[in-house]
Amino acid sequence: MKKVLAKITAITVMSALAVTAFAGCGSSSNSNDSSDASFDTSKTITVVTREEGSGTRDAFTELTGVLVKDGDTKTDNTVSSAVTINSTEAVITNVKDNDSAIGYISLGSLNETVKAVKVGSVEATAENVKSGDYAISRPFNIAYKSNLSEVAQDFVDFILSSDGQKIVTDEGYVTVSDGEAYSGKKPEGKISVAGSSSVSPVMEKLAEAYMAVNTNAKIEIQTSDSSAGMQAAMEGTCDIGMASRELKDEELSALTSTTIAKDGIAIIVNKANTCDDLTVDQIKAIYTGETTVWSDIIK
Amino acid sequence: MQGVFFLTALASIAAVAVICIFLFINGIPAMAEIGVFDFIGGQKWAPSNVPASYGIFNMIVASVYVTAGAIVIGVPIGILTAVYLARFCPKPLYKVLKPATELLAGIPSIVYGFFGLMVIVPFIRDNFGGNGSSWLAASIVLGIMILPTIIGVSESALRAVPESYYEGALALGATKERSVFKTILPASKSGVLAAVVLGIGRALGETMAVVLIAGNQVQIPSRLTDGLRTLTANIVMEMGYSTGLHRQALIATGVVLFIFILLITISMQAIKSRSEKHG
Amino acid sequence: MADKNNAALIDDIKPINKVTFKQRMLSYKRKPLSFVMLLLVALAALISAAALVFIIVYVLVRGIPNLTPELFALTYNSDNVSCMPSIINTVVLTLLTLVIAVPFGIGAAIYLAEYAKKGNKLVKLIRTMAETLAGIPSIVYGLFGMLFFVYALGWGYSLLAGAFTLAIMVLPTIMRTTEEALLTVPDSYREGSFGLGAGKLRTIIRIILPSAMPGILAGIILSVGRIVGETAALIYTYGSATGYATGFLNSGRSLAVHMYVLTNEGLHTDQAWGTAVVLLVLVFAINTLSAFIAKKLGTKKG
Repeated sequence: MKKVLAKITAITVMSALAVTAFAGCGSSSNSNDSSDASFDTSKTITVVTREEGSGTRDAFTELTGVLVKDGDTKTDNTVSSAVTINSTEAVITNVKDNDSAIGYISLGSLNETVKAVKVGSVEATAENVKSGDYAISRPFNIAYKSNLSEVAQDFVDFILSSDGQKIVTDEGYVTVSDGEAYSGKKPEGKISVAGSSSVSPVMEKLAEAYMAVNTNAKIEIQTSDSSAGMQAAMEGTCDIGMASRELKDEELSALTSTTIAKDGIAIIVNKANTCDDLTVDQIKAIYTGETTVWSDIIK
Repeated sequence: MQGVFFLTALASIAAVAVICIFLFINGIPAMAEIGVFDFIGGQKWAPSNVPASYGIFNMIVASVYVTAGAIVIGVPIGILTAVYLARFCPKPLYKVLKPATELLAGIPSIVYGFFGLMVIVPFIRDNFGGNGSSWLAASIVLGIMILPTIIGVSESALRAVPESYYEGALALGATKERSVFKTILPASKSGVLAAVVLGIGRALGETMAVVLIAGNQVQIPSRLTDGLRTLTANIVMEMGYSTGLHRQALIATGVVLFIFILLITISMQAIKSRSEKHG
Repeated sequence: MADKNNAALIDDIKPINKVTFKQRMLSYKRKPLSFVMLLLVALAALISAAALVFIIVYVLVRGIPNLTPELFALTYNSDNVSCMPSIINTVVLTLLTLVIAVPFGIGAAIYLAEYAKKGNKLVKLIRTMAETLAGIPSIVYGLFGMLFFVYALGWGYSLLAGAFTLAIMVLPTIMRTTEEALLTVPDSYREGSFGLGAGKLRTIIRIILPSAMPGILAGIILSVGRIVGETAALIYTYGSATGYATGFLNSGRSLAVHMYVLTNEGLHTDQAWGTAVVLLVLVFAINTLSAFIAKKLGTKKG
């Protein structure tokens, strides 16, 4: 009775598939509900960090003192068991799903699925970044060679004008200049912009707004990272480079840089975590591996 | 006209040559500057430290570990599935299952990566402890990703075995399963081995999925739930941001990966020529 | 007709070899190991199928609710993160890649199948190199493309750099499938053509290529699938500009790269899942087309 056997197999397969499929739907909706569970402070802290060379990591380690400078030597003391990830999204996902995790992201990328803790009792908001009260913040820079084309120069003027800075505010970042309204000559041309993936979301908005004002211009944005952006600007493969960190000396010698916005770095934890406030020293202790469990912090 | 066809045929030789030359030209100086032993044998990777260290030993080990894990998961399931498809599968089901395994190969790796991050990582964290992004997670996802390769190649190897082997075993009174596992599977040994080697190559070279779920710590894991960083993950994570020696060191990482793949291709050739000799 | 008679004949013979369910269970009772093997084999197939269904259902469940009209708006802006430009870019990239790779792939296959002498050292080298190319991981292609096309040739992140990198990547696939298709063309076709006085080139172009066409097409479509799903090789060659790539030296992003960038920014996860659905549907359509053409080839042969 080969046919019977075949049928039985087929039915088993189908029903099993159906069950797995339903299980799939179930688990996808469950994963966000972890905040209802009570928080277990005895769990080991899962430290989530960005990759070496990331502008966010550079800024974070320098501002918190995880990066130790001693004369000519610099040592990044991030604990070796830290989960290392190269995207903001993956950091958020990790922290959202893991109730003992801690991570850091750009303030503009913060959403409601995770909780930003206060740093030294100062809340992570645009106002506090601008006033300088919030300790962990970094500049968004653009850099270009001295022979900037007319249209590119006009775009830079637009970014620093009140119209451009309004877009910066709207995007959740912090303005740096209180310029006047844009009144450019609207020259014709093509501008290529390349660099940091942290800066590119706001740069896209700026480019769209500029192209709406100056219909003669065309802007192309390459998203990679700060160093690649500076490299491209120095090699002339793009007109304007974007960096989410201060420029290095060798870059400053070839390029002119302008800060277009400031960004806070939000320290994020799972929503179930009862910790609301960390000092910079506590953050440093967590990231260097001195503090390994939440109960050391939440008394 | 033959000359034109001949020239197009040389394109693949030219391509391999150019790829080798460019990778080696850009990678070897970095290895020389860092020191070949310090580069390959070094356990510390800290490119932004001053002075920087560029040791990829842990990543080589990690690549081997992850690949081994993927093989442990993917090979038994893959070969048994191939056996099912070739010998046991009812025809109507085959018409569904076969395209399904091919579709598995078509899913872009970035989709696998996010699937792993959303489903497998939390599952491991809740059931096995640790933070989920781990050796185990990477091995499971890679195990699934190499399934179509292993199933496809093994199945055609199994089908290439003459039917008389199977019938002979049946006639001697063996059960269907015994006939399959004692005659057909051994007879298709070299084809199945080729499938495994191909799978190893796939797993070793996979990038986008691994980088999202392996945790990417530069360490040799002591447990399955520990994170690790593979050679491919190292390249794709840091390539964009790197400058100077750091960037060259990443290209050199690519060179090491390339050499691994070349070794696999060579062993693949060896398996093939052996199977041609034997029959 | 003969086929039908044969089938009827086989149906008549079959009952003699029939094993009843009872007999089968009895034999399993005697050989429990065989039963265990059967279970294992079925279980493995089940796991393989379940993995696929699980992944696809998961992506669909998360993605379909996000397939909004804005996702397919004609122009990209950072609010709608439309994937329309990247779909068009993917199509253009695919076409250009094929324009570069197909002549080389088919030419090489014709040389290997029709001209080369068996056992020639050079032929062996060509095959080895093609297999080497097939084994190189896409991240290494990405590195090479960046070093060679983007920097050494000075093309920058561009359509041309992306297409050339991918063309090298899919070359072995096209070569192999075309060669296989050429080899399945019966020698009688060639002999018939020669007999009628046609030259070798004429025979190849007028007789052999047309009859091998379904196999060649299936190979090309397979390559299209690979191009559409590629990420690692494109990030450092084609770049990630958001608009339409209107010139050869312009940068653009393919659909897979678009999805990667969306998830990377972390601001548009929902749209990323929607894009994943579009990607899956594309890949599924390409697979079905390839299977359909290969099936056509199969029926022709048999």
